[in-house]
Amino acid sequence: MNAMPDLFAGAPDEALLIAFANGDAQAAQALTERLLPRVLAQATRMLAIQAEAEEVAQEAMIRLWKQAPDWRQGEAQVSTWLYRVVSNLCTDILRKRRGGVSLDQIAEPTDSAPSVVQQMQTNARMQALSDALAALPERQAQAVSLRHLEGLSNPEIAEIMDTNVRSVESLTARGKRALAAIMAGRKAELGYDDD
Amino acid sequence: MMMTDRNDDILEDIFAQARTVAPTPSDDLIARVMAGATVPQSAAARPTPRRSLGQQVLDLLGGWTAVSGLVTATCAGVWIGVSPPESVQDYTATYFGDEISVSLFNEDAIFAAGDFFDG
Repeated sequence: MNAMPDLFAGAPDEALLIAFANGDAQAAQALTERLLPRVLAQATRMLAIQAEAEEVAQEAMIRLWKQAPDWRQGEAQVSTWLYRVVSNLCTDILRKRRGGVSLDQIAEPTDSAPSVVQQMQTNARMQALSDALAALPERQAQAVSLRHLEGLSNPEIAEIMDTNVRSVESLTARGKRALAAIMAGRKAELGYDDD
Repeated sequence: MMMTDRNDDILEDIFAQARTVAPTPSDDLIARVMAGATVPQSAAARPTPRRSLGQQVLDLLGGWTAVSGLVTATCAGVWIGVSPPESVQDYTATYFGDEISVSLFNEDAIFAAGDFFDG
Protein backbone atom coordinates (compact mmCIF):
# COMPACT_ATOMS: atom_id res chain seq x y z
CA MET A 1 0.00 0.00 0.00
CA ASN A 2 1.41 3.39 -0.90
CA ALA A 3 1.27 5.22 2.37
CA MET A 4 -0.54 8.54 2.33
CA PRO A 5 1.12 11.63 3.73
CA ASP A 6 -0.17 11.73 7.27
CA LEU A 7 -2.78 14.43 6.69
CA PHE A 8 -5.22 12.75 9.02
CA ALA A 9 -2.88 11.74 11.83
CA GLY A 10 -4.67 11.83 15.14
CA ALA A 11 -8.10 12.31 13.58
CA PRO A 12 -10.64 9.82 14.89
CA ASP A 13 -12.06 7.25 12.46
CA GLU A 14 -15.44 8.92 12.69
CA ALA A 15 -14.04 12.28 11.56
CA LEU A 16 -12.45 10.59 8.54
CA LEU A 17 -15.70 8.85 7.71
CA ILE A 18 -17.58 12.15 7.80
CA ALA A 19 -14.88 13.77 5.64
CA PHE A 20 -15.33 10.92 3.14
CA ALA A 21 -19.10 11.40 3.19
CA ASN A 22 -18.47 15.05 2.35
CA GLY A 23 -16.52 14.04 -0.74
CA ASP A 24 -12.94 13.76 0.53
CA ALA A 25 -11.47 10.76 -1.33
CA GLN A 26 -8.20 11.00 0.60
CA ALA A 27 -10.14 10.32 3.79
CA ALA A 28 -11.31 7.03 2.26
CA GLN A 29 -7.75 6.08 1.47
CA ALA A 30 -6.62 6.96 4.97
CA LEU A 31 -9.47 4.89 6.45
CA THR A 32 -8.56 1.96 4.22
CA GLU A 33 -4.95 2.08 5.37
CA ARG A 34 -6.06 2.32 8.96
CA LEU A 35 -8.92 -0.19 9.08
CA LEU A 36 -8.47 -2.77 6.32
CA PRO A 37 -5.54 -4.64 7.93
CA ARG A 38 -7.52 -5.10 11.15
CA VAL A 39 -10.68 -6.09 9.31
CA LEU A 40 -8.76 -8.61 7.20
CA ALA A 41 -7.02 -10.02 10.28
CA GLN A 42 -10.30 -10.55 12.12
CA ALA A 43 -11.80 -12.32 9.09
CA THR A 44 -8.70 -14.47 8.57
CA ARG A 45 -8.62 -15.57 12.21
CA MET A 46 -12.22 -16.70 12.04
CA LEU A 47 -12.20 -18.22 8.56
CA ALA A 48 -8.58 -19.36 8.01
CA ILE A 49 -9.13 -19.21 4.25
CA GLN A 50 -7.53 -16.25 2.57
CA ALA A 51 -9.99 -15.88 -0.31
CA GLU A 52 -13.00 -15.95 2.02
CA ALA A 53 -11.35 -13.53 4.45
CA GLU A 54 -10.61 -11.09 1.64
CA GLU A 55 -14.17 -11.33 0.43
CA VAL A 56 -15.46 -10.50 3.91
CA ALA A 57 -12.97 -7.64 4.36
CA GLN A 58 -13.97 -6.10 1.04
CA GLU A 59 -17.68 -6.43 1.78
CA ALA A 60 -17.28 -4.89 5.25
CA MET A 61 -15.41 -1.88 3.86
CA ILE A 62 -17.94 -1.37 1.06
CA ARG A 63 -20.71 -1.41 3.66
CA LEU A 64 -18.81 1.22 5.62
CA TRP A 65 -18.63 3.47 2.54
CA LYS A 66 -22.36 3.06 2.00
CA GLN A 67 -23.09 3.83 5.64
CA ALA A 68 -20.93 6.98 5.66
CA PRO A 69 -23.57 9.59 4.62
CA ASP A 70 -26.03 8.31 7.21
CA TRP A 71 -23.48 7.77 9.99
CA ARG A 72 -24.89 8.89 13.33
CA GLN A 73 -22.18 10.79 15.11
CA GLY A 74 -21.38 9.73 18.64
CA GLU A 75 -23.66 6.72 18.58
CA ALA A 76 -21.12 3.98 17.92
CA GLN A 77 -17.42 3.79 17.18
CA VAL A 78 -16.42 2.89 13.65
CA SER A 79 -14.27 0.04 15.00
CA THR A 80 -17.18 -1.38 17.00
CA TRP A 81 -19.42 -1.21 13.94
CA LEU A 82 -16.81 -3.00 11.82
CA TYR A 83 -16.21 -5.73 14.41
CA ARG A 84 -19.95 -6.42 14.31
CA VAL A 85 -20.18 -6.46 10.51
CA VAL A 86 -17.12 -8.69 10.07
CA SER A 87 -18.28 -11.02 12.83
CA ASN A 88 -21.72 -11.40 11.22
CA LEU A 89 -20.30 -11.89 7.72
CA CYS A 90 -17.90 -14.55 9.02
CA THR A 91 -20.59 -16.50 10.85
CA ASP A 92 -22.67 -16.43 7.65
CA ILE A 93 -19.78 -18.10 5.82
CA LEU A 94 -19.09 -20.56 8.66
CA ARG A 95 -22.73 -21.60 8.58
CA LYS A 96 -22.54 -22.36 4.84
CA ARG A 97 -19.21 -24.08 5.23
CA ARG A 98 -20.35 -26.82 7.60
CA GLY A 99 -20.08 -29.33 4.72
CA GLY A 100 -16.27 -29.17 4.89
CA VAL A 101 -13.32 -27.40 3.31
CA SER A 102 -10.86 -28.70 0.75
CA LEU A 103 -7.18 -28.50 1.67
CA ASP A 104 -6.19 -26.40 -1.35
CA GLN A 105 -8.37 -23.57 -0.05
CA ILE A 106 -6.27 -23.23 3.08
CA ALA A 107 -3.98 -20.20 3.10
CA GLU A 108 -0.53 -20.76 1.65
CA PRO A 109 2.51 -20.39 3.93
CA THR A 110 4.04 -16.93 3.87
CA ASP A 111 7.71 -16.26 3.04
CA SER A 112 8.52 -15.36 6.62
CA ALA A 113 7.43 -18.81 7.86
CA PRO A 114 10.06 -20.48 10.06
CA SER A 115 9.70 -23.69 8.10
CA VAL A 116 7.24 -25.14 5.66
CA VAL A 117 6.34 -28.06 7.94
CA GLN A 118 5.78 -25.79 10.90
CA GLN A 119 3.72 -23.40 8.80
CA MET A 120 1.61 -26.26 7.48
CA GLN A 121 0.93 -27.36 11.03
CA THR A 122 -0.05 -23.82 12.01
CA ASN A 123 -2.36 -23.61 9.02
CA ALA A 124 -3.93 -26.94 9.93
CA ARG A 125 -4.53 -25.67 13.47
CA MET A 126 -6.06 -22.44 12.23
CA GLN A 127 -8.30 -24.40 9.91
CA ALA A 128 -9.29 -26.77 12.71
CA LEU A 129 -10.11 -23.78 14.93
CA SER A 130 -12.24 -22.22 12.20
CA ASP A 131 -14.07 -25.51 11.60
CA ALA A 132 -14.69 -25.84 15.34
CA LEU A 133 -16.10 -22.28 15.41
CA ALA A 134 -18.41 -23.30 12.56
CA ALA A 135 -19.73 -26.14 14.71
CA LEU A 136 -20.69 -23.77 17.55
CA PRO A 137 -23.95 -21.86 17.83
CA GLU A 138 -23.34 -18.54 16.04
CA ARG A 139 -23.56 -16.27 19.10
CA GLN A 140 -21.07 -18.47 20.97
CA ALA A 141 -18.70 -18.45 17.98
CA GLN A 142 -18.88 -14.65 17.81
CA ALA A 143 -18.34 -14.15 21.52
CA VAL A 144 -15.41 -16.60 21.68
CA SER A 145 -13.67 -15.15 18.63
CA LEU A 146 -14.07 -11.56 19.82
CA ARG A 147 -12.77 -12.47 23.29
CA HIS A 148 -9.99 -14.92 22.50
CA LEU A 149 -8.93 -14.08 18.94
CA GLU A 150 -9.42 -10.30 18.98
CA GLY A 151 -8.63 -9.87 22.68
CA LEU A 152 -11.57 -7.57 23.38
CA SER A 153 -13.04 -6.97 26.82
CA ASN A 154 -16.46 -8.28 27.79
CA PRO A 155 -18.07 -4.79 27.83
CA GLU A 156 -16.70 -4.15 24.32
CA ILE A 157 -18.07 -7.49 23.13
CA ALA A 158 -21.42 -6.72 24.76
CA GLU A 159 -21.64 -3.49 22.76
CA ILE A 160 -20.64 -5.21 19.51
CA MET A 161 -23.15 -8.01 20.03
CA ASP A 162 -25.81 -5.67 21.38
CA THR A 163 -26.23 -7.59 24.61
CA ASN A 164 -25.12 -7.37 28.25
CA VAL A 165 -21.86 -8.40 29.91
CA ARG A 166 -23.42 -11.29 31.81
CA SER A 167 -24.69 -12.78 28.56
CA VAL A 168 -21.24 -12.38 26.99
CA GLU A 169 -19.63 -14.19 29.92
CA SER A 170 -22.07 -17.06 29.53
CA LEU A 171 -21.66 -17.28 25.74
CA THR A 172 -17.88 -17.17 26.00
CA ALA A 173 -17.68 -19.82 28.73
CA ARG A 174 -20.00 -22.25 26.95
CA GLY A 175 -18.35 -21.62 23.59
CA LYS A 176 -14.88 -22.15 24.96
CA ARG A 177 -15.86 -25.41 26.66
CA ALA A 178 -17.36 -26.71 23.42
CA LEU A 179 -14.31 -25.63 21.42
CA ALA A 180 -11.93 -27.35 23.85
CA ALA A 181 -13.91 -30.58 23.49
CA ILE A 182 -13.86 -30.40 19.69
CA MET A 183 -10.15 -29.58 19.50
CA ALA A 184 -9.32 -32.33 22.01
CA GLY A 185 -10.67 -34.83 19.51
CA ARG A 186 -8.17 -33.61 16.92
CA LYS A 187 -5.13 -33.01 19.08
CA ALA A 188 -3.08 -35.86 17.62
CA GLU A 189 -3.51 -34.71 14.03
CA LEU A 190 -2.73 -31.14 15.10
CA GLY A 191 0.60 -32.16 16.62
CA TYR A 192 -0.36 -32.10 20.29
CA ASP A 193 0.90 -35.48 21.40
CA ASP A 194 -0.01 -36.46 24.92
CA ASP A 195 3.03 -36.32 27.13
CA MET B 1 -9.52 -32.89 35.67
CA MET B 2 -5.95 -33.20 34.37
CA MET B 3 -7.26 -34.00 30.88
CA THR B 4 -9.55 -30.95 30.93
CA ASP B 5 -6.60 -28.74 31.86
CA ARG B 6 -4.58 -30.24 29.03
CA ASN B 7 -7.40 -29.57 26.55
CA ASP B 8 -7.68 -26.00 27.82
CA ASP B 9 -3.93 -25.56 27.35
CA ILE B 10 -4.17 -26.80 23.75
CA LEU B 11 -6.99 -24.40 23.06
CA GLU B 12 -5.12 -21.50 24.65
CA ASP B 13 -2.09 -22.37 22.53
CA ILE B 14 -4.17 -22.34 19.35
CA PHE B 15 -5.81 -19.06 20.38
CA ALA B 16 -2.35 -17.56 20.92
CA GLN B 17 -1.22 -18.69 17.47
CA ALA B 18 -4.39 -17.30 15.89
CA ARG B 19 -3.82 -13.90 17.50
CA THR B 20 -0.47 -13.63 15.70
CA VAL B 21 -2.20 -13.98 12.31
CA ALA B 22 -1.91 -10.52 10.75
CA PRO B 23 -2.06 -10.70 6.97
CA THR B 24 -1.10 -7.67 4.91
CA PRO B 25 -3.88 -6.61 2.54
CA SER B 26 -2.85 -7.27 -1.06
CA ASP B 27 -2.72 -4.42 -3.56
CA ASP B 28 -5.59 -6.07 -5.40
CA LEU B 29 -7.77 -6.07 -2.28
CA ILE B 30 -6.94 -2.43 -1.56
CA ALA B 31 -7.82 -1.53 -5.15
CA ARG B 32 -11.17 -3.33 -4.88
CA VAL B 33 -11.97 -1.57 -1.60
CA MET B 34 -11.02 1.83 -2.99
CA ALA B 35 -13.03 1.19 -6.16
CA GLY B 36 -16.09 0.97 -3.96
CA ALA B 37 -15.28 4.22 -2.15
CA THR B 38 -17.51 6.48 -4.21
CA VAL B 39 -19.38 8.92 -2.05
CA PRO B 40 -22.99 7.78 -1.88
CA GLN B 41 -25.76 10.26 -1.24
CA SER B 42 -27.66 10.14 1.99
CA ALA B 43 -31.38 9.56 2.00
CA ALA B 44 -31.88 13.21 3.00
CA ALA B 45 -29.69 14.59 0.22
CA ARG B 46 -31.10 12.44 -2.58
CA PRO B 47 -32.95 14.70 -5.07
CA THR B 48 -36.64 14.06 -5.44
CA PRO B 49 -37.85 13.48 -9.02
CA ARG B 50 -38.99 16.65 -10.87
CA ARG B 51 -42.77 17.13 -10.93
CA SER B 52 -44.83 19.06 -13.47
CA LEU B 53 -46.56 22.34 -12.56
CA GLY B 54 -49.98 20.67 -12.80
CA GLN B 55 -48.83 17.89 -10.50
CA GLN B 56 -47.45 20.43 -8.02
CA VAL B 57 -50.77 22.37 -8.01
CA LEU B 58 -52.60 19.09 -7.51
CA ASP B 59 -50.33 18.26 -4.57
CA LEU B 60 -50.93 21.75 -3.13
CA LEU B 61 -54.70 21.21 -3.19
CA GLY B 62 -54.41 17.83 -1.54
CA GLY B 63 -54.40 15.38 -4.46
CA TRP B 64 -57.12 13.95 -6.68
CA THR B 65 -59.47 13.10 -3.82
CA ALA B 66 -59.58 16.65 -2.53
CA VAL B 67 -59.85 18.14 -6.03
CA SER B 68 -62.81 15.94 -7.00
CA GLY B 69 -64.70 17.16 -3.91
CA LEU B 70 -63.78 20.73 -4.74
CA VAL B 71 -65.08 20.40 -8.31
CA THR B 72 -68.37 18.86 -7.13
CA ALA B 73 -68.90 21.66 -4.61
CA THR B 74 -68.14 24.32 -7.23
CA CYS B 75 -70.58 22.82 -9.76
CA ALA B 76 -73.27 22.61 -7.09
CA GLY B 77 -72.68 26.27 -6.12
CA VAL B 78 -72.91 27.45 -9.72
CA TRP B 79 -76.12 25.46 -10.32
CA ILE B 80 -77.76 26.80 -7.16
CA GLY B 81 -76.84 30.31 -8.28
CA VAL B 82 -78.30 29.86 -11.78
CA SER B 83 -81.43 28.04 -10.77
CA PRO B 84 -82.03 28.32 -7.03
CA PRO B 85 -84.50 25.80 -5.64
CA GLU B 86 -87.59 27.20 -3.99
CA SER B 87 -86.50 26.15 -0.54
CA VAL B 88 -83.31 28.15 -0.96
CA GLN B 89 -85.25 31.21 -2.08
CA ASP B 90 -87.51 30.91 0.99
CA TYR B 91 -84.50 30.56 3.16
CA THR B 92 -82.73 33.60 1.77
CA ALA B 93 -85.92 35.60 2.02
CA THR B 94 -86.31 34.62 5.64
CA TYR B 95 -82.70 35.26 6.40
CA PHE B 96 -82.09 38.45 4.48
CA GLY B 97 -85.68 39.73 4.24
CA ASP B 98 -87.87 40.24 1.16
CA GLU B 99 -86.40 41.63 -2.02
CA ILE B 100 -87.29 45.24 -2.48
CA SER B 101 -86.47 47.80 -5.15
CA VAL B 102 -85.30 51.20 -4.20
CA SER B 103 -85.06 53.99 -6.70
CA LEU B 104 -82.37 56.44 -5.83
CA PHE B 105 -83.64 59.10 -8.16
CA ASN B 106 -86.92 60.88 -8.43
CA GLU B 107 -88.37 60.04 -11.88
CA ASP B 108 -89.63 63.61 -12.37
CA ALA B 109 -86.19 64.96 -11.75
CA ILE B 110 -84.70 62.55 -14.33
CA PHE B 111 -87.20 63.64 -16.95
CA ALA B 112 -86.54 67.26 -16.08
CA ALA B 113 -82.86 66.72 -16.56
CA GLY B 114 -83.63 65.22 -20.02
CA ASP B 115 -85.48 68.33 -20.99
CA PHE B 116 -82.55 70.38 -19.81
CA PHE B 117 -80.08 68.49 -22.05
CA ASP B 118 -82.41 68.42 -25.02
CA GLY B 119 -82.70 72.15 -24.76
